[in-house]
Amino acid sequence: MKASIFKRILTGMVAGSLLLVSFGCDSKENTSSTAGEDTSLQKVLDSGKLILGLDATFKPMGYTDENDQIVGFDIDVAEEVCKRMKVELVKQPINWETKEEDLKVGRIDCIWNGMSVNPSRAEEMNLSEPYMCNEMVFVVPASSEAKSMNDLKDKVIGVQNGSTAQDILKASEIGTTITEQAMATNIEALQQMELGLVDVVFLDSVVANYEITSAGKDYVVLPDGLEEEEYAIGFRKNDQKLRDEVQKILSEMKKDGTLGEISTKWFGSDVTTVK
Amino acid sequence: MTAQEIQKVFFILLEYLVPTLKVFGFTLLFSIPLGMVVALLKMCKFKPVSWLTNVYILIMRGTPLMLQVIVAYYAIPMLRMNENLPGAVSGLLEKINIQGDGFMFKAVLFAFVMNYAAYFAEIFRGGIESIPKGQYEAAAALSFTKTQTFFRIVLPQVVKRVVPASSNEIITLVKDTSLANVVAYAEITLKAKQQMQNYSSLMPLFIAGGFYFVLAMILTVATSLIEKKLNYYK
Repeated sequence: MKASIFKRILTGMVAGSLLLVSFGCDSKENTSSTAGEDTSLQKVLDSGKLILGLDATFKPMGYTDENDQIVGFDIDVAEEVCKRMKVELVKQPINWETKEEDLKVGRIDCIWNGMSVNPSRAEEMNLSEPYMCNEMVFVVPASSEAKSMNDLKDKVIGVQNGSTAQDILKASEIGTTITEQAMATNIEALQQMELGLVDVVFLDSVVANYEITSAGKDYVVLPDGLEEEEYAIGFRKNDQKLRDEVQKILSEMKKDGTLGEISTKWFGSDVTTVK
Repeated sequence: MTAQEIQKVFFILLEYLVPTLKVFGFTLLFSIPLGMVVALLKMCKFKPVSWLTNVYILIMRGTPLMLQVIVAYYAIPMLRMNENLPGAVSGLLEKINIQGDGFMFKAVLFAFVMNYAAYFAEIFRGGIESIPKGQYEAAAALSFTKTQTFFRIVLPQVVKRVVPASSNEIITLVKDTSLANVVAYAEITLKAKQQMQNYSSLMPLFIAGGFYFVLAMILTVATSLIEKKLNYYK
């Protein structure tokens, strides 16, 4: 009796330490497992489902609506792509901070959630062609005295932690004259601006415009944004065939007008840049 | 947010009370017995066992639970990607389905159980060590065996003594379940965060807070009832 308990405890401990060790190994370069053939597309077709990873809080690209359904522009497009691939779309909520891990270990097949292109992401993943343009803009309350970027000196600027907006702000000239306050989400940043905790929020124009037009918030977008950036879909580095297939379908959708239709539904016009 | 919207969020969160309670309930179910075993191992006369247990407790109490949840969740998927593993191990790992909610729940539960067992172990050890040595000597004089002494004399008293400290842990556990949202385990906090974005309002987070508060209140009443019930001989 006693011995068996001991054995069990020991196995538990060994298992536990194994887990810790494996996590420690993470820093090692993960060598590609598909040295030979690229079976990424076949895998998706065989299993009959494409698993799309998103953090489900990026309105209007991919978010959870009031009925607890995941909807958005990206989701509508992905649904259509999957329909044409004759597979089912599985929407898998993930934590945005660990999205690269989720993709690498195979929990998801792609990251498709208004993800901005930046060099490190292009390095880590196999990105699709950019499908939409986005500008990083400053948003102030309608009552603010700041009317352009030049008025932002010494202001407290809220920005989403870990976002490309944060990187852009840090690298910019204006970044040295302001105080940055990083928050978990853009919405929290906007909320803090309403409460007066920050003066300005720096975020995606897509989100800002949506908040002003659809949610009816009393904000103003300053006329001069900092930088243009693009949204793309992220695939695993080795999944070239899957990426190409999705890309091909997107181009077809652009040609036959389906993509424009979906874009009009969410943004009022065709803002996509797919070729 | 309008009253109707608040109501809508309330019902969504109510639905995700189940996964929250699942983590809570199963963690208690497994971590309390495991904590008891760990406490005994720590007091083991064979020193290496005691040291190993100490290391385990040190790690579990010394690192954030949030980190442990992430480790538990990514350990197996990452191990699977390692090519230097022996064939038997990697074959076994390949069989585990890492996609889907079942795996996520088990990983989250594993982290919670391991973490809480460490805390419970220390509480139980304190309880066991608080029993005066004289009682053991008296039991020996009455020719009780060691097992009999532990189960018949020591344990009933320990249970009474560890209830207040344990209820502290149990109430903390209710709120700690929210940490499962770091791996996007669908529970109250994750859903509140999603609805927060949907309505561009902090209100859903407050509603979630209300849920935890009510749960903690129920547990407070329950544990104080248990305490009263165990208050015989006083």
